Amino acid sequence: MALSNRDRARLSLGLQAGIFIAVVAVLIAIIDWGAVQSSFFDLENISGMFPEVITVGLWNTIRYTFFGFLFGLIGGTLLALMRIASFPVYRWVAAVYIEFFRGIPAILVFIALGFGASLAFNLNLSTLQTASTALAIVGSAYIAETIRAGLQAVPKGQMEAARALGMPAWRAMVTIQIPQAFRIVLPPLTNEAILLTKDSSLIFVVGMAGSAAELTKIGRDGILQYGAGMTPLVVAGVCYLLITVPLSMLARRMEERSPGKSSRRRPKKKATESPVTAGVK
Amino acid sequence: MSADTAAIPAGVVIENLRKSYGDNEVLKGISVTVDPGEVVCLIGASGSGKSTLLRCVNRLEDPNSGRIRVGEFEVTHPDVNLDAMRRKIGMVFQQFNLFPHLSVLENCTITPRRVLNQDRAEAETEALHQLQLVGLEDLADRRPAQLSGGQQQRVAIARALTMKPSLMLFDEPTSALDPETVGDVLAIMRDLAQAGMTMIVVTHEMGFAREVADRVVFMDQGKVVEEGAAEQVIGAPTAPRTQDFLRRVLNPLGE
Ligand SMILES: Nc1ncnc2c1ncn2[C@@H]1O[C@H](COP(=O)(O)OP(=O)(O)OP(=O)(O)O)[C@@H](O)[C@H]1O
Ligand SMILES: [Mg+2]
Repeated sequence: MALSNRDRARLSLGLQAGIFIAVVAVLIAIIDWGAVQSSFFDLENISGMFPEVITVGLWNTIRYTFFGFLFGLIGGTLLALMRIASFPVYRWVAAVYIEFFRGIPAILVFIALGFGASLAFNLNLSTLQTASTALAIVGSAYIAETIRAGLQAVPKGQMEAARALGMPAWRAMVTIQIPQAFRIVLPPLTNEAILLTKDSSLIFVVGMAGSAAELTKIGRDGILQYGAGMTPLVVAGVCYLLITVPLSMLARRMEERSPGKSSRRRPKKKATESPVTAGVK
Repeated sequence: MSADTAAIPAGVVIENLRKSYGDNEVLKGISVTVDPGEVVCLIGASGSGKSTLLRCVNRLEDPNSGRIRVGEFEVTHPDVNLDAMRRKIGMVFQQFNLFPHLSVLENCTITPRRVLNQDRAEAETEALHQLQLVGLEDLADRRPAQLSGGQQQRVAIARALTMKPSLMLFDEPTSALDPETVGDVLAIMRDLAQAGMTMIVVTHEMGFAREVADRVVFMDQGKVVEEGAAEQVIGAPTAPRTQDFLRRVLNPLGE
């Protein structure tokens, strides 16, 4: 006898709920919750980390990421323009840069910059400079591809209309194509900022003074300070979420109302005709 | 409505124009002359090269050989100032191509301001004047996406006219429109023609061609097959291919 669709849906829901309850019950039974709490959620450790985890750690993470993203955005835009330039050497240089830095682990860039800059260029970079430069170098490679895709997603007719009006190529690029491309790439760029926020933790391989410590360093120092418990890492992790979750919500909201989604379609409701229109006929 | 065209209308001379995409020769030696103030409709089957010809006139496409002259501009000369030349040649596209990130008013002021260096007040006065002529000055603050297709196309015409062109090119301006808005756009084009603008119009609107065009040019497979007064080419075509094309356009079901 065949089940109706509704019965089948109800059965499926019941089955899923049953499995869930069973798994939760098993977890409750086998896990030593006291041990978990003392190693991951030790209240004394948590209160001991404030306010430094916010005033130093979160603040430095935001600073390093902000400048890394800002310079990455500038570099990425330049690379994207090089990538679509008519002069072939620009295209090749940009392509090699992008492939190279997207292809290697970001941590290599942090190490090379953190230990190599003083050797090779006799530069003494601060932690802020090292972290944001490394993030900019890596980020610009990813951002360049995002922006190139955005520029190419602007309909060809936009550039043609601008040129047909007599705008020089650079002017059409600056006033017509780039502003539209930015609207298209805003959601993926926000995701890029999330990735950079997490990558800023890589600066810990270089080491830094206490006042320059970002979240991961604060978390690791906390572990050494308080003993074997992992609570400081949990606190640091929650602080990362304070940055990344709002960014990710922002990206999703922008995606939902992105211009490309609605403007291609005809508006459903016709704009009201002005009274003057009648005179035109 | 009376559209004023401050610029002096330009004549167009196209001589033996050829254009290929790879091995595909799309224009096979086209020669067309348009007198100042004249309206010429280009008709022909899909793929016959109408758009390509139109886009060569403002050099959105580069022809392989031949010569084009628009007023004082030697369009096909290698040293021609492309941007200065294009400012005198307005173009209206099938898909409108309004700038979606700018308001209707900004669409009409951006080029006068950024390219002709007009100040904001001057550019806005002229833009509002042009928008009024197409009956849309009340919608100046809207975004293009908030307008119907017909309204967008009228803005596109106003935008082109703010540059005071000497020649207007229209590439199937009503083909993407809902039937009930086609009339508004054609009415504006008719008024523009009566005001003395030189116009080259690619269109399938045979009623418009009959009423407004001084001459009709029928193209087929990259060549001009027949040209003459609208009444003659549309009403009494002599070439078999023109007759065949018109039969299909005027009577699509072949009854
Ligand atoms: N950018 C291009 N690259 C290659 N081929 C092209 C390009 N543009 C046009 N063509 C070809 O040139 C020929 C003429 O195209 P064109 O757009 O000028 O025709 P049309 O008469 O305007 O047709 P329609 O009525 O469909 O607009 C077609 O065969 C088309 O495939
Ligand atoms: Mg065409």
